[in-house]
Amino acid sequence: MVLQLHVWGPAFSLPSIDAQCLAAIAYCSEVLPQDSWELIASSDPSVSPTGELPALQNGSIWVSRFRNIVDYLRQYSEGAWNLDQNLDDVQKADSVAFSSFIESRGQSLLDLSLYVTSQNYYANTSPAYGSLLQWPNQWILPPKLHSAAKTRTEHLGLSSLDLQAMEDQRKREHSAAVAAGQIPSNMIQQPRDTVSKLLGRTAQTNQFRLEALTADFFEPLEAMLARSKICLLPADDNNNPSSLDCVALGYLSLALVPELAFPWLRDAMRAKAPLLTAYTERMRSRCFGDAPVEAKHAFQPTAPASLPWRAPERISVAAVGTTLLGTLADNTPFLREVRQNRRLKQAVEADSAFSSVEKQVLSSYADSSNKDMLLSIATAVAGTAALVGYMVHVGLLSFSTGGVQEEEEFEEDAGVLQVDPGSAADFLGAF
Amino acid sequence: MPPKADSPEESNTSPFFTIPAPLKRLFDKFPLTTYPANEIPQRLRPHDNVNQLYVFADAAGARHGRPSFNPQCLKWQAYLKFVGIDFEITSSNNHASPTGSLPFLRPSLPADTLNPIPSHKLQKWAIEQVHCEEEQQLNLRFEVYASLLDNRIRSAWLYMLYLDSENFDAVARRLYVNPTTSNSIVRAALGHQLQQAARDELLKTSRYIDAADLEGDAGGAFEALSTLLGEDEHFFGRPNPGLFDASVFAYTHLILDDTLGWKRNRLGQLLREHPNLVQHRDRLLKFF
Repeated sequence: MVLQLHVWGPAFSLPSIDAQCLAAIAYCSEVLPQDSWELIASSDPSVSPTGELPALQNGSIWVSRFRNIVDYLRQYSEGAWNLDQNLDDVQKADSVAFSSFIESRGQSLLDLSLYVTSQNYYANTSPAYGSLLQWPNQWILPPKLHSAAKTRTEHLGLSSLDLQAMEDQRKREHSAAVAAGQIPSNMIQQPRDTVSKLLGRTAQTNQFRLEALTADFFEPLEAMLARSKICLLPADDNNNPSSLDCVALGYLSLALVPELAFPWLRDAMRAKAPLLTAYTERMRSRCFGDAPVEAKHAFQPTAPASLPWRAPERISVAAVGTTLLGTLADNTPFLREVRQNRRLKQAVEADSAFSSVEKQVLSSYADSSNKDMLLSIATAVAGTAALVGYMVHVGLLSFSTGGVQEEEEFEEDAGVLQVDPGSAADFLGAF
Repeated sequence: MPPKADSPEESNTSPFFTIPAPLKRLFDKFPLTTYPANEIPQRLRPHDNVNQLYVFADAAGARHGRPSFNPQCLKWQAYLKFVGIDFEITSSNNHASPTGSLPFLRPSLPADTLNPIPSHKLQKWAIEQVHCEEEQQLNLRFEVYASLLDNRIRSAWLYMLYLDSENFDAVARRLYVNPTTSNSIVRAALGHQLQQAARDELLKTSRYIDAADLEGDAGGAFEALSTLLGEDEHFFGRPNPGLFDASVFAYTHLILDDTLGWKRNRLGQLLREHPNLVQHRDRLLKFF
C-alpha cells in the first residue's frame, strides 16, 4: 500500500501554505523511500476523519498532526523510518523543547505576518487560498482561518496590524462620541485615513513590539545553529537533518520565502539571523527541490518532479453538501456547541491506542457535556415558554399576581444561559 | 417636589401627583442632619510596611503563606521567596486586579503604592529590589524549555483541571467556584463559563481536543525537563533556585499535591516516572 500524505496545497512557491504540512512533507521526503508515498494537495480538512491536515492515509488508517505521523511511521516500519534514532537523551530533550518553542512562537509570528497584517492577507494570503481551494471551500475556509489566526494572536496586543479592526475601532469611538452628544452629528468631519497614512503610523507604533517578538524567536535558534553549523540538530555524523529540522523548515520557510506586501518578518529574519536564513534556503532546496513549487505541479502533476505529487480527486456533490451543512450547523447557536463536544468524542473513539476504560471515561464526559447542552436548550425553551405564557396571561388578565413569579423564573433561566466569554477568558488568562 | 407639580392645572388633572400639606411641611425640614463622609475602610491597607502579593488562595492558606493553588500565582509566589523578598499573601480574585488577572503586587514603598505591579513586571521589580540576575540572559535554553511549560504542560493542565468532569467537580469547583458565592445557579453558570473558556483555549491551537495527545505531549515535556535537570539541584546548575525552578515547581507541586483531591491524576503518574523532578519539588517545598 502506498502511503498518501494529504496536505494544504502549494502557495508562495512552497509545496504547502501551512507550516505543519510543510514539516510533514519535509519529514516524509527525508525518511520515506522515493516511490513508497504520494503527496496529495487535498486542501480540505474534511477528507480526513480527524478533520485536520496534514493527514497520512494508509489504507483505512488515518493519522493527523506532525508528531503523530512521525510516531506512526516509526511504528509502522518497526523503527526503520525514523530520523531521530541516533539522538542521545540530551539531544532528544532539545528536540522536544525546540519543537515546542518553534511551534508556539513560530505559529504566532506566521499568524501575524500572513493573516493579521491586513495588507498581506488581502494582497497575498487570501488570493493564494483562492487558487488552491475548490468551490465552495474557497468562500468558507479562508475567513475561518483568518479569524482563528486573529484569536490566536489576540494576547500579543498587535491588533493595530489589522487595518480592518482599526477601522472598526475608529467607527466605534466616533459613534460613541455622537451618542454622548459631544459633537452634533452634522458637525462631525469624516477623517479620511489613506491606507499609506495608516501604514506609516502602524509601522512605527508596532516596530518595537515586533522587534522584540522576532528577536525572541530568532535569537535562540541562531545561537543553536552557530554551534551545530549545518543542521539545528544533526541526526548523525553526516549532518543529516532530524525531525526538529523538518519542523524548523516548515515554520522558517513560510517566514522567509513568501513575497508579501509588507515583509516585516522576512526583513527581521534576514537582519537578525543570517545563518538561519542560509540554513532555511539550504534545507528548502534539499527537501522541496530547487525549482519553486507552483499550484499546477500539484494539480496536474508531470512525471519528473522533486515531490511525488498526485492530483487530488474532484470534489463530489456529497462532499459539497456535507461542507455546506457543516458550515450552516457551525454557525447556528447550540448546534455549534453540540458539534464541538462531538469533536472530542469522535477523536476518542477513532483512536485505537486508548484503553477501553479511558475510552469509556472520555465518551462519558462528552456525553455528559451533550446532556448539559440539551439541558441548556430545554431551559431556554422552558424560559421562552414561560415568557410567552406570561405575556398571554397579561394580555387576558391585567395585574394578576402569578405573572411576577414566572417572570422571575425566566430571569433566572436567562442568568444560567448567559455566557460572558470575556470574564471567563480573563480568568483563564491567569493560568 | 418641583414647583411644576404645585401648579393648579397639574393638581386638577391628577390628584396623585400632589403632596398633602402636612407631609410637605414635614419633608421641607429635611435633611435634619448631614453626616460627614465615611472613611476609607481600614482593611484595604492592612500592613503598609510589607509587600502584599494578591493571589488565588483560601483564607487559612493566605494567613500561613501556603502555596497558592493557581500555577501562575504560585510561580511568582515561589520566585519572590527564592530571591529573598519579604511579602505577605492576600487572598483575592481577578476582579480585584488592575490587569484582570492575578497575581499582582502592592509594594510597601510609599512612592509606589498607587501603582500595583502586574505579574509581567514582577521580575523587573524584583531585580531592582534585590539585584538578582535576569536568568533569561544567561542561558539560551531558558526561553526554549520555558515554552514546554507555557504550552504543552499548560494545555494538559487545563484539560485535567477543567475538562475532566470528575476533577472539575472535585477540585476546580471547590477552589474557584464555591468560594465566590453560595447561590447554586450562579455557581452552575460560573462553572460552565470556566469549562467553556478552557475548551476555547484548547481549540485555539487545534481543531479538536484529543486527551491522549495532550497527555502524550505533557509526558514528553516532563521527560525533556527531567533530562535538562539531570543530577543538578536546580535548573541550569544554579546554586540557588530561580525563575525557571519557580515555573517548574508551580506545576509539579500542584500536580503532586494530593491534598487538592484529584480524582484522576494522569499527569501525576507521568511526572512520578521522573524521580529527579519529584525530588526537585520536595526540595523547593521546604521554602514554604
